[in-house]
Amino acid sequence: MGHASHVNRKQYWIIWVYLLILTFLEVALVYVPGIAKPLLVSALFLLAIVKATLVGLFYMHLKHETKILRVSVAIPMASPVLYAAVLIAEAGWRLL
Amino acid sequence: MSASATAAQAHDHHHDDRPFPPDQFFGEATPGKIGMWIFLLSDALMFAGLLLAYGILRGGSDVWHPPGQPRLGINFTAGLTFLLICSSVTMVLGYAAMVEGDRKKAVRFLLLTALGGILFLCGQYHEYFGIWHPGLSKEGLDFGSSAYASTFYVTTSFHGAHVFSGVVILLITAFATWRGKTDAHDIEAVGLFWHFVDLIWILVFTLIYLIP
Repeated sequence: MGHASHVNRKQYWIIWVYLLILTFLEVALVYVPGIAKPLLVSALFLLAIVKATLVGLFYMHLKHETKILRVSVAIPMASPVLYAAVLIAEAGWRLL
Repeated sequence: MSASATAAQAHDHHHDDRPFPPDQFFGEATPGKIGMWIFLLSDALMFAGLLLAYGILRGGSDVWHPPGQPRLGINFTAGLTFLLICSSVTMVLGYAAMVEGDRKKAVRFLLLTALGGILFLCGQYHEYFGIWHPGLSKEGLDFGSSAYASTFYVTTSFHGAHVFSGVVILLITAFATWRGKTDAHDIEAVGLFWHFVDLIWILVFTLIYLIP
């Protein structure tokens, strides 16, 4: 019965609401007058990662998988994020 | 998909919520699900390559938007994002219906999800070529004319190709489900692919469209 325990309709709708709010927040940030670009880019980057994580954990059921499967997904996914963080830091360093 | 479907038919009773023999490392995850994850990881790294190339090109350029080339529309694509997020919900609701054994409802949700994907593709066509007003390609955003144009077209069309294959897979699965040939594991594996397409769009929308 392990399967049935994944199904949680209320949670699916709650995640949907979170995703909508975060998307609205992202678009609203872009329209903030005079917002500093490094701040905007980091905030957008962070919000996108939070949204992607929500989809992975709750819609793709990673929250309910075994630890080894979650780690097998997390490590390859973390490597490009880490690389991107290094690139952003490097670009920021050059601008300073 | 066919392997788990035949396995399910072999033990006919309860085949909708039959747990896969628990494994020390992967629990009740089916080989189909693990296979899908391995595919998604390789696919994700392909998108990572495209997005990182975009980041490196953009970070190293003095002028990213050449004069005369149109900016990307944010409001319209925010609508497309909304569409994909909604289609992810209909996908999980279809999976939920299948787990509960409601095959008809599952088929309806699968078709609704496919419809979301088709509307997304129409939106992307409109964005590129224009349906009710000129598209980007007619406003001077020519492929190959700048790093800005090329990274945009390559990344979004690669994602669009995923949406297209997702729609095809969803339609095939809806048909197979209607004929009683699928189980909840199959729907979950298709769902993984669809949510992945949504997840990638979240990143593409933020990095390609929203960064001014």
